[in-house]
Amino acid sequence: MKQALAQAVEWYVRLHDSAATEVTRAEWQAWLQSDPLHAKAWDRVEALRQRLSLAPEGYAVATLETARQQRRAALKTLAVLLGVGVTGWGSYRASPLSADYSTSVGQRKRTTLPDGSLLVLDTDTRVDVQFDSHKRLIVLRQGAILIETAKDIRRLSVQTAEGEIEALGTRFTVRQDDSITQVSVEAHAVAVRPRLAFGQAIRAEAGQAVSFTAASIGPLRAATEQGSAWTRGMLIAVDWRLDDLLAELSRYRHGLLGCSPDIAGLRLSGTFLLDDTEGALANLEDSLPVRIRRLTRYWVRVEARAV
Amino acid sequence: MSRSDTEVAHHDHLHALYRDHSSWLRGWLRKRLSNSADAADLAQDTFIRVLVARTASSLQQPRHYLTTIARGLVIDLYRRRSVEQAYLDVLMSRPEVQAPSAETRAMILESLLAIDRMLDGLGQRTRQIFLAVQLDGLTYEKAAERFDVSVTTVRKHLAKGLMHCLLMDEE
Repeated sequence: MKQALAQAVEWYVRLHDSAATEVTRAEWQAWLQSDPLHAKAWDRVEALRQRLSLAPEGYAVATLETARQQRRAALKTLAVLLGVGVTGWGSYRASPLSADYSTSVGQRKRTTLPDGSLLVLDTDTRVDVQFDSHKRLIVLRQGAILIETAKDIRRLSVQTAEGEIEALGTRFTVRQDDSITQVSVEAHAVAVRPRLAFGQAIRAEAGQAVSFTAASIGPLRAATEQGSAWTRGMLIAVDWRLDDLLAELSRYRHGLLGCSPDIAGLRLSGTFLLDDTEGALANLEDSLPVRIRRLTRYWVRVEARAV
Repeated sequence: MSRSDTEVAHHDHLHALYRDHSSWLRGWLRKRLSNSADAADLAQDTFIRVLVARTASSLQQPRHYLTTIARGLVIDLYRRRSVEQAYLDVLMSRPEVQAPSAETRAMILESLLAIDRMLDGLGQRTRQIFLAVQLDGLTYEKAAERFDVSVTTVRKHLAKGLMHCLLMDEE
């Protein structure tokens, strides 16, 4: 991967050169398509570019440089006080909160776990994995995942803030929302156990979905397509409220995305590409009596269109 | 059953950790920060991290562990303060930049902090050229002119900066 990244960076530098031509672009396309790893590496470079583009125009550099100068002046004293060398700044970044697997906003990632199970991470997700001789534990700290378990004698379970989901040879998604866990089963079955009501275990079969809090389990319901559509980069809305749709889209992009209260209840259905939330917003203007207002680059508000 | 037992055990460990070391940790922090409110806040944050990481029961050297976390928090606090201050200074010194709402300001600050973290460990020249091209949008030629280097050198520093940020971002 590191080699692919280095190549992606090289391409980025070439493409942004004023000397870049159509030939450069064609060569870059060929490189991009010659290996899936290349495309992956390019996505990372693109994601970085997007993050950098969130900085305020015109004065970000001055701010960052001033802050750094001011710190450098304070640094010598600080380093002594903290008992770390001057290089200590960077090395304390790894906090106990860092996770084994993680994605940033707008990013999705597929990985294979040591036992061969497939793990797909949705946007802004953190997962810790603890495998030992008799259990496979996946701790979902934030976000959403899909798991396709590999055959293994050890029990596999996912732990969330609300409880535990035990895999019974299976493919399923788990999402950690605010004080609630959502599970959707695609193949075989899972057993769900809320943290504070272990006796209440429930079995959810393929095609079923269930939500639970730490103390209780909601009713079993039919799994919607949206349960795992994100693993294919899609958001499928069927008769959704506009504010729900915007909340979902905003998980995949930086900044604030909201709407004025008078249109929050408008209903819509549609399929949107998660990698193109801008396109999704543009679609809204076509299908609803709304307009997109950009207060800043990272503050977007949907409002009623004046008639 | 077993789950709620471990839950109880976890709380017991955390409680003992707090009882035995919290005032010592506040003292440790007070010696390193100029005001005691900050010290109390960061001591609190340190224990919250232990709580979330669920590591309280397995600590061999609790004070070493606590100071490792606290040290990281102090560094973060300094970083945040310095970026905040620099941002306010820039806003004050440039009347043409419209003062944004508190909400927008918080978001801008977060994005600046994220970038600031990524830049750690980069050499000064690389960082300056990287920022000039990526954030100020200078062409390679203009950047070469500003820093009095060749266009090839600009390309080299830009590539180095990008690679560094990508690898920092990976963690």
